[in-house]
Amino acid sequence: MPSPVLKYEPATSTLLAEVTKRSGQNLQACYQCRRCAAGCPVGEETGVTPDRLIRMIVVGDREEALNNLLVWKCVACYTCGTRCPNNIQTARITETLKQMAKKAHARPLTPRIADFHSAFMTSTRHLGRFNEIEALTIYETKTAIKELSQGKVKAVIDEMIGQARLALSMMRKKRLHIGVDRVKARSEVQALFEKAKGR
Amino acid sequence: MTQLAYYPGCSLHSSSELYDVQCKMVFKNLGIELKEIDDWNCCGATAASKTDEFLAVALPARNLGLATATGLSEIVIPCSSCYSRTLVSQKTLAADPGLKDSINAELSQKIKGDIKVSSILEVLVPRARSGELAAKAVKKLEGLKPACYYGCLLTRFPIDVNVPDDVENPQGMETVLKALGATPVDWGYKTDCCGASASVNDADQSQLLMSRIFTDAVGRGANCLVTTCPLCQFNVDAYQDAVGKKYGIEKRLPVYFITELIGMSMGFDPIEMQVDRHFVDAMGLLKELNLL
Ligand code: SF4
Ligand code: SF4
Repeated sequence: MPSPVLKYEPATSTLLAEVTKRSGQNLQACYQCRRCAAGCPVGEETGVTPDRLIRMIVVGDREEALNNLLVWKCVACYTCGTRCPNNIQTARITETLKQMAKKAHARPLTPRIADFHSAFMTSTRHLGRFNEIEALTIYETKTAIKELSQGKVKAVIDEMIGQARLALSMMRKKRLHIGVDRVKARSEVQALFEKAKGR
Repeated sequence: MTQLAYYPGCSLHSSSELYDVQCKMVFKNLGIELKEIDDWNCCGATAASKTDEFLAVALPARNLGLATATGLSEIVIPCSSCYSRTLVSQKTLAADPGLKDSINAELSQKIKGDIKVSSILEVLVPRARSGELAAKAVKKLEGLKPACYYGCLLTRFPIDVNVPDDVENPQGMETVLKALGATPVDWGYKTDCCGASASVNDADQSQLLMSRIFTDAVGRGANCLVTTCPLCQFNVDAYQDAVGKKYGIEKRLPVYFITELIGMSMGFDPIEMQVDRHFVDAMGLLKELNLL
């Protein structure tokens, strides 16, 4: 995949300062050695490797930085950061950019990934513990409604069949947990969620 | 009996209950009593770190407070994701007293001191080295050629952490399994990512990652995979057949938790350990190798 031509606007852009502060990563230390690129397991599919993402931010191209597949498909494996001679953790940068995209109400490039994480957090807030069935129901419903409204009927049916198959084999192997585990002091967990919102 | 605080986490209370059962059985036989911390909550896993940096620290922090309240000096966390998030939370709070105060204000059990946060290997490896594991074994795991699969979170962290193993070529599981008579294979994908939750929300990506793991493990002559992480275990077990068919990999490898192999060496009943609850059959190989 060819790399996009980046818009060079370091003088007017506040992007670098913002990402540096929020991610806690010293992006300016990057000297483009590309050790990170060699180990990134999703670089090939996203067409963007950590070094490129950092470059986008350093030159100030907000549009590219918030709208590329690495931001969403990064699996947070921490390979890039472990190997980086300058200790730059790109997973922290992709986290930051996801949160910035959300704040800017930008549509995530891969809504399924964003919706999964939000369903996970909704379930955790509700019960204090992650409930596989509840979280997956929230996620699958949201995804189905969205995709149906875009006319992606086949994608929705495939997803349903796939999930039903998995649920069946989980049942057969006694891996599906029906009971509901919850934290007694849920109000304490929810207070943390409230505090997070206020920050 | 040594007592250790214990955080099972959500997976070990749901789809990976077998791991919870096995941990308790194996540790008990090693003279370790696991004291589950009272009323623990979800650590937030990767979802919290991807959506909210405060919650990513605050959720495990509540558990650290509960763990401190046990008065014990060490907590063992078998799930790699829970272990990583909890350790990162602890280190982050140590470096940021303001954040710690702000979280403590909401907690009934405050975070104080620094209880040692251990992965399951940090408890097992010293006991393999000292000969204790071998001493408890009634059977040798002869003929077992595991590819030890560590995944991401046991050796790589988003912040500076002292990792008690080699980051690129960890040996903890190998040390344990060699002590029990198995012959682990040398392979290249032991710390590669299985995709974690991408198996649900980005299936093609995660299946591609898993196909590389299976291809290498099979190519190196492994007859099973072994892991300590319930998320890795679930992925490479539940999706192995689909991935195999998609990428033309014929052989299927059972995916054991390290605890079930230790348990087999200790002579435990496989059904009691729930070894029959795997997606890729895990009983056949044990039978074939006369380990049942
Ligand atoms: S390894 Fe580090 S310094 Fe090298 S290109 Fe990647 S981020 Fe930049
Ligand atoms: S953490 Fe993300 S960016 Fe870094 S190597 Fe892994 S997938 Fe690539």
